[in-house]
Amino acid sequence: MMTDPLLQVIHSPVIAIALTLAAFLCAVWLYRRSGWLVLQPVLVTMLIIIGGIRLLGLDYQAYREAVVPISWLLGPATVALAVPLYRNVRRIRQALWPVMLTLLVGGVAIVALTLLFARWLGADVPVLMTLATKSVTMPIAMPLAEQLGGIAALAAVLVMLTGVAGTAMLPPLLNLCGVQHPAARGMAYGMNAHAVGTARALEEGDECGAFAALAMGALGALTAVLLPLAFLLWHLLLD
Amino acid sequence: MIKGVLLLLVMQAGGALLQQLCLPMLPGPVIGLLLLLVLLLVLGRIPQCLEQASAVLFQYLPLLLAVPATGILLGGDVLLAQLPAISGGLLLSLLFCIPLCGWMMQRLIAAETDDD
Repeated sequence: MMTDPLLQVIHSPVIAIALTLAAFLCAVWLYRRSGWLVLQPVLVTMLIIIGGIRLLGLDYQAYREAVVPISWLLGPATVALAVPLYRNVRRIRQALWPVMLTLLVGGVAIVALTLLFARWLGADVPVLMTLATKSVTMPIAMPLAEQLGGIAALAAVLVMLTGVAGTAMLPPLLNLCGVQHPAARGMAYGMNAHAVGTARALEEGDECGAFAALAMGALGALTAVLLPLAFLLWHLLLD
Repeated sequence: MIKGVLLLLVMQAGGALLQQLCLPMLPGPVIGLLLLLVLLLVLGRIPQCLEQASAVLFQYLPLLLAVPATGILLGGDVLLAQLPAISGGLLLSLLFCIPLCGWMMQRLIAAETDDD
């Protein structure tokens, strides 16, 4: 078995990387051909990769190690978001008050409504603490969930689910509600669907992408600082 | 292009260092983003090499995000056990908050421009 040449090739990093790139090409092709916004590339790429891993019987950890040459680029890509931010710095400065108010009211609503609905539907406390972090970008959400008494591994899953589901729901909902301003669309993308939403916002244009990056970063930082404080207060009031 | 990537990596490394030293709650790349923004503000323009590098990275952003998204495979147990509550809470809050954020920002911008 061990010397089966076909199996050896299937379990080599080459196949993992090829599977990832092929999945992305299929997803982009499908997205362009269908013109259907729900089929956004992150979602479809992810589904094809998962299908491929299952079909080929790959070990998930081995897959993730094999595709590090692709996934480490996410770091520099995050830093590069400074470019659209800088290009729109004047627009952002003009809209400073709207940005801050929307971040504060929207941010509170996102956390409060998520907890309310999930509690109503019967989620337990560790899951609730994890859900509270679902709208911030993953490297912030995971340690934050742990700090609040949630589950870090679940936080990563919920963040991705939110990003993917949110990005599928965002364009039709915004169109339905008549939100046309690129800055307003960008804020909604970044606050509700963090990085996945920002990737989609960049497709709509530079201004939209800049406000999405701003909303994602600012909401992430605000949540990291304010959420632990809010839970501390909550416990003080209850006990 | 390579110069641009190098600049991004230097900023990311600076961000990682600052995170270790004094900002443990923010991820290194986000601090790197802020460092690069400050650099651009001081510089007053976007270097050509950086423009190229960021355009290429953004073009493939969905590919880069799809890899961590496959982590959904790992969180299976708790997720499946409370799937109705989790997916319900997630989707219902999105249904309300997406229009709220977009609508509020649009109204506030309109109000601001009316004042001028």
